[in-house]
Amino acid sequence: MTRVGIVGLAHVHAAAYAAILTDLDDVELVGVSEPRPELRNGWTSSDVFDDIDALIRARVDAVIVCTQTNEHLAAVRHLADAGVDVLCEKPLATTVDDAREIVEVCDRAGVKLMTAFPMRFSPPLIEGAQWIDERRAGSVLAFMGTNNGRIPTDHAAWFADPVAAGGGAVMDHVVHLVDIMAWWLGAEPIEVYADINKVFHPEVLVETGGVVTITFDDGVIGTIDCSWSRPDNYPVWGGLTIETLGTEGVFAIDAFAERLEMWSRGTSTWVDWGHDPNRSMIEHFIGAVRGDHSLAVTGVDGLRATEVALGTYRSAIAGQPVEV
Amino acid sequence: MSLRVGLVGAGNMAGVHADAWATTPDRIVAVFDPDRERASKLAAESGAVVADDFESLAGMVDVVDICAPTHTHASYIAAAADARVDIVCEKPLARTAAEARDAVAVCEAAGVRLLVGHVVRFFPEYAAARDAVVAGDIGSVGVVRLDRSTYLPAGASSWFSDRSKSGGVVLDLMIHDVDYARWVAGDVERVYARSAGGGDHVLATLSHTNGAISHIQASWAYPMGSFRAAFEIAGSDGLIQRHVAVPFEASVEASDDVSDVPQPPSSSTESPYITEIRHFSSVLHGSGEPRVTADDGARAVAICDGIAESLMTNRAVEVGP
Repeated sequence: MTRVGIVGLAHVHAAAYAAILTDLDDVELVGVSEPRPELRNGWTSSDVFDDIDALIRARVDAVIVCTQTNEHLAAVRHLADAGVDVLCEKPLATTVDDAREIVEVCDRAGVKLMTAFPMRFSPPLIEGAQWIDERRAGSVLAFMGTNNGRIPTDHAAWFADPVAAGGGAVMDHVVHLVDIMAWWLGAEPIEVYADINKVFHPEVLVETGGVVTITFDDGVIGTIDCSWSRPDNYPVWGGLTIETLGTEGVFAIDAFAERLEMWSRGTSTWVDWGHDPNRSMIEHFIGAVRGDHSLAVTGVDGLRATEVALGTYRSAIAGQPVEV
Repeated sequence: MSLRVGLVGAGNMAGVHADAWATTPDRIVAVFDPDRERASKLAAESGAVVADDFESLAGMVDVVDICAPTHTHASYIAAAADARVDIVCEKPLARTAAEARDAVAVCEAAGVRLLVGHVVRFFPEYAAARDAVVAGDIGSVGVVRLDRSTYLPAGASSWFSDRSKSGGVVLDLMIHDVDYARWVAGDVERVYARSAGGGDHVLATLSHTNGAISHIQASWAYPMGSFRAAFEIAGSDGLIQRHVAVPFEASVEASDDVSDVPQPPSSSTESPYITEIRHFSSVLHGSGEPRVTADDGARAVAICDGIAESLMTNRAVEVGP
């Protein structure tokens, strides 16, 4: 039996993770820790503690960190000191220094650190990785990626808080596609250009639109549209697509294509019926905690993606490409 | 009244324009092409004569329609203005921003019309989306995504692949969406672009003066026979998508019946080229203002020049009006 906890209920994924942990065999959801009463109230899925040390004292082997982004480092420090393995929500941190320290404290303590990149466990994206390995489209030349969504503030206002989230659409959405591209290529991003704006939901303090161009060290280029550009009445939260151009062909992937389109009682929505990448991600993490395998996604992957996301802001300010 | 039209060039696009002029009150009376055989064929089809040179063509007509390779546009425009005839010119208006500016100036000075064939403004789906934007249906434009992905024009029209003549994929293909981006989101002040596939695949970011951002993919590196033109316009109050199914496999074999010059998928109603030429005809007959101004044509070339410079320097380039 692997004993797992959740630190923080700020992130919208906490409830889904709790449901998965409860459902998995040989896993016990020990409890969650959350100091803010307004987030703690109404939580019935498990025991709830008001601080992280109480959760650690309840004996956990591993923890999923779902605090707001600027509180990741403090949580990970506590957990690493206690020898607890960590699966940390993305982006890893709101600054490069914090993200690097998250990686370092886990290294020093000898605990495992995984970044929550569920798209690594998305079947169509895994197939894309295989196609690239098999050179089905020849050598990769360029990617065109979109990770668009509705503004997530309905779920949690801090997603649009410049301090808590470190930014807006860029922090929320650039990291997934950076990680996918770097994973597929086995290459490192070296340069970023971006323009960002605040046309969607001008009432918030952070950027809500952005188009990012990344150059990798093998010469491949890729663009990412990270905008919160889906209207409030869009059927679902958003989506992720990536198109790959190679020397011998092209292939396009919609990571959320396994869905029904449904119109019901005056609303329209899409109903997912396929594979749940979050579940596979957590299973992989638990397997690594048990020593069954090594981590396929690490803190270094999260650090790299965070560096690119933060480089986006530097470029937008400079109006020129910047090195990362 | 019927205007006398002179076609300059007798290649692929001239044939398309000739078919379109046939639906107007106007008639093609003369065709000029340095390749006299080609000119003779199109002239015979159009019931026109073959002109020995541009000057004699200009002497026979009220309007010239320039469907010649891009690098020749500016000199034909200058000669037409000199001859005081109105001008329809295929996009791009000219090979360079400086040539395009001069072309606009020389036509203004001569008092002749200069109508630029940015045909995307006449594609019904693009026009309908623009109408919705102008009507305020989606609020302020935030991010525009434009995609035009096809294969390299080949065969008889090989001047396309000579970048010194065509300006490559940026000036020949991406310019469609550069102009459309300006039409829906206003003028552009800064551009950045990267290329792959030997320069035949370009991803560009346009920063509009009003803060909107356009992302444009233009590609001559897609599989033989494919042509995808897709767009999405996201605004503060809504979203417009032109869904295009992705018809690509991981690899597509070249088929034998592929057109030398890629043709965009068109609507089931009238050809956008017919819509365009009919509109130009009515403007030339004194009815209304053109949907595309000469300045629009020059701005599109200037922005493409900036994109080409960005590709060379890997720097963002100011292209402010």
